[in-house]
Amino acid sequence: MIALLALVAGAVVGLFLQPTVPLALQPYLPIAIVAALDAVFGALRAYLDGVFDDKVFVISFVSNVLIAALIVYLGDQLGVGGQLSTGVVVVLGIRIFTNVAEIRRHVFHA
Amino acid sequence: MSSAPEDAKTTVAPHRDLVRWLAAAAVDPDYARVARSASPPAHVRRTGARAGMWVVLLVLGLVVVTSGAEVRSTASQTARERDALVAQINQRKAVIAASTARLETLRAEVSGLQGTASLDTQRNADLLAGLAQARTLTGAAAVTGPGVRVVVDNAPPSRSGNAGKVLDSDLQLLVNGLWQAGAEAITINGNRLTALSAVRTAGSAITVNYQSLSSPYVVQAIGNPATLPARFVDTAAGQAWLDLQTNFGIRFDLRRADAMVLPAAPAPRLHVPNAQRRGELP
Repeated sequence: MIALLALVAGAVVGLFLQPTVPLALQPYLPIAIVAALDAVFGALRAYLDGVFDDKVFVISFVSNVLIAALIVYLGDQLGVGGQLSTGVVVVLGIRIFTNVAEIRRHVFHA
Repeated sequence: MSSAPEDAKTTVAPHRDLVRWLAAAAVDPDYARVARSASPPAHVRRTGARAGMWVVLLVLGLVVVTSGAEVRSTASQTARERDALVAQINQRKAVIAASTARLETLRAEVSGLQGTASLDTQRNADLLAGLAQARTLTGAAAVTGPGVRVVVDNAPPSRSGNAGKVLDSDLQLLVNGLWQAGAEAITINGNRLTALSAVRTAGSAITVNYQSLSSPYVVQAIGNPATLPARFVDTAAGQAWLDLQTNFGIRFDLRRADAMVLPAAPAPRLHVPNAQRRGELP
């Protein structure tokens, strides 16, 4: 519950302060968000499975975001940024879909 | 969610079925590992990690909203830039039109002054007549008279794809054929052709006198309306155009016209000629 409140509070702060993203970080933002969403859905599923642990969540969240940004950075340096980003999005997308499907099964028992 | 032995199998051989392995490992395996290991009393060590979780989620909400706002503002900025460019183009076009109009009046004034200044002698009158004739033929003056009006257009797109497009070379062929058939003055979409006019493709459009044209192309030629069409068809250009019409479906519509008014060509840049006449005037 408080976790949801924190999420909403972050969104509200963003809406009110309208911070600008530094130009250097802009390429990494979308992919980092996808990685973060993957961590969040994974955590939600683990919570419903009854194995949630907040320390694991924080670590997986941070490492997911960092690794995603690192992959994009590496890809940009090698000239294959677009393709690597696509690969990351595909993998994370599959994971998100799987987790959401599992969450759905938990919530609706169907 | 999967049972333990199945989990082990998929983890051992991930290369065998990547997608299935991805789906099976969708949840960080550490959750299961931590849950399985004998952990210390949860509430003892949790406070720090729980606060970390809240911070992380707060940051996520912030970043998602910020990123969304960023994307939206970038899009609107692009639209604004485009609008500004369009406005600039229109403004510059208006400036050009005004300058051209002023140029026209100045030129009329100059010819008027030339007329009044040098009407006194017969020789000057002859020269002026020659000048008028030259201005008519070179496109420096607007002219009127009978002739033909040719409308050409790209073939309907379904018929022959890209091959049915009117090219700059086709238009060159057409006007050269008309000159050959005895045309005295020619315009393409109202742009008078001179010895210095170029009919060429620039970007995706055909330009005449550096003005971009769009189809259909209307070519007006002043000349003897009785002989011009037949003589045009006799030229190589006429034959080539009949070919284009039958083979590619390009529209070619030639009609006689009674009284057409062709405007003057845009004024050439003022320059001091280097070429000088050799010998006496005839």
